[in-house]
Amino acid sequence: MSRRTFMFDQTVTILENKKVNAEYYKLAFRSKELSRRVLPGQFVQVQVEAGPDPLLRRPFSYYRVMKSRIELLYEILGRGTQLLAEKKRGHHIKVLGPLGRPFSKNLHGKRRILVGGGVGVPPLVFLAEAVKREVRPLVFLIGCKSRAEVLPKRELSEIRGEVRYATNDGSYGKKGFATVLLRDLLKREDPKTLFIQTCGPRAMMEAVMTIAKRFGIEGEASVDERMACGIGVCLGCVVKTKSGFKTSCVEGPVFRFDEMEVGAGSPCH
Amino acid sequence: MGRKIDLTTKIGQLTFKNPVTVASGTFGSKDELKGYLNYSVLGAIVTKTVTLKPRAGNPMPRIWETPSGMLNAIGLQNKGIDDFIENKIPFFRNIKTHLIVNIAGESVHEFVNLAKRLDGERGVSALELNISCPNVKKGLEFCASPELAGEVVRAVKGATRLPIFTKLSPEARDFLGVAEAVINSGSNAVSLINTIRGMAVDIENCRPQIANVFGGLSGPAIRPIALRYVYEVKKRFDVPVMAMGGITNAQDALEFLITGADLIAIGTANFVNPRATVEVLSGIKAYLKRKRYRSIDQVRGSLKVKVKLKREGIPAG
Repeated sequence: MSRRTFMFDQTVTILENKKVNAEYYKLAFRSKELSRRVLPGQFVQVQVEAGPDPLLRRPFSYYRVMKSRIELLYEILGRGTQLLAEKKRGHHIKVLGPLGRPFSKNLHGKRRILVGGGVGVPPLVFLAEAVKREVRPLVFLIGCKSRAEVLPKRELSEIRGEVRYATNDGSYGKKGFATVLLRDLLKREDPKTLFIQTCGPRAMMEAVMTIAKRFGIEGEASVDERMACGIGVCLGCVVKTKSGFKTSCVEGPVFRFDEMEVGAGSPCH
Repeated sequence: MGRKIDLTTKIGQLTFKNPVTVASGTFGSKDELKGYLNYSVLGAIVTKTVTLKPRAGNPMPRIWETPSGMLNAIGLQNKGIDDFIENKIPFFRNIKTHLIVNIAGESVHEFVNLAKRLDGERGVSALELNISCPNVKKGLEFCASPELAGEVVRAVKGATRLPIFTKLSPEARDFLGVAEAVINSGSNAVSLINTIRGMAVDIENCRPQIANVFGGLSGPAIRPIALRYVYEVKKRFDVPVMAMGGITNAQDALEFLITGADLIAIGTANFVNPRATVEVLSGIKAYLKRKRYRSIDQVRGSLKVKVKLKREGIPAG
């Protein structure tokens, strides 16, 4: 597997680690080796502390790669991310990557529809920026809890296409979930010409996959599972697929909709 | 360049080039980590448990991080012995280290069948009997009594010429009795310790953090416990020990070697640092060099204990 033969485990210096809005932090570091290899949808395993507590690394999707500069976007979800948020410019962290199966870049002429929710948005921004020379401009549908989660406009300025927001409380964009935006889109687009790529909360991705199935739309979902090793040995992060349990770290995190079990309970669990 | 330090370790007829190996279930079952290190530099590789039939494993969530440790309830997910022999063993034939295959059966009969299938397979150096998996039905059953544990080992001994390591659980009610039984039944070595069952709760939705409710606790959190078990076994029995339980760096490994461990296995640390094994190995070498030792044997079992233990062994769990 060529994917595994180019792994880098490095200690890097934090260039920047600050809040971009009320919810999200942006962390930047430099790695020539990683930046040359990394693809949208892959993830990095960050070791926040050198000691045994917290013990495990934390997986983060890549948010942006500019030359050798790599950016991650995260929110504080537990102790690991809390400690990460306390790191300052000049502090060190260990990063292992690139890891995992990326999103497809070539959609064979289909129009790219990105559906992101919450911290599922960053890898889709990376993907959107990576395909900005694509002939057909993409559509990026973003669901957030409220205006506080909405990314500053400059963060999305490189994206070529249409960006639409929905917020649960209606404080920004359309009121409702990202799926409301998807349903609107399907009223004016031929489903057969579309390809969905989604990342976000499990409930949102399930809803997206259910709609996709009904309209016969192909797509990919990036799952976010509790992970220990990130390199395919612990089997802690598996997801149920039509062909049995698969590791979200090596065989995913990106899975095709038709690999996942939709409808029968949760596709991810 | 000074004199070469001798790291070779003997267990029965097997000679290991160094005492560093891996704990079952933390290093995959084939070449999962080959992008990170050269397998041939290690003393041995221990595979993830292989069962007779394929096993899907437990439902998710399967893991949860705890202070300096983690809970896991993977449930012996593996593709079964047929797939293992056909697709996994050939890879190891080109690796210049010992392959120790960890096996688990649901009955004595299954253990025997597994042993027979692996007997004579080129590339396999030894078997490790997993009679202590806390995450599957009947997993701990064979470790529950000295009689059952002894029966499994005797039966497997009769089915294969391969040396046998028996992996024991600190949860065995009569731990020393079980250890004695497996040794007397012909186990060539014992592996100490398997994980210890633990639990965690998600207070937001009032559910266990592990779908299986219990998960095996591993990592630095259990290291002092593992060390104590190695000490007690080494003190009472003349048996080679493969030690595991939270070993993360050379210092940890040396604590076990000094206590008398013959081999030391890196487990959960592989999840955090895929090169933990090679780093431990070079750390051990650096220590020996600093101490001006010529052989690992000068370290092994060098623990100086002045106080006599008053208590009679490990109490009932």
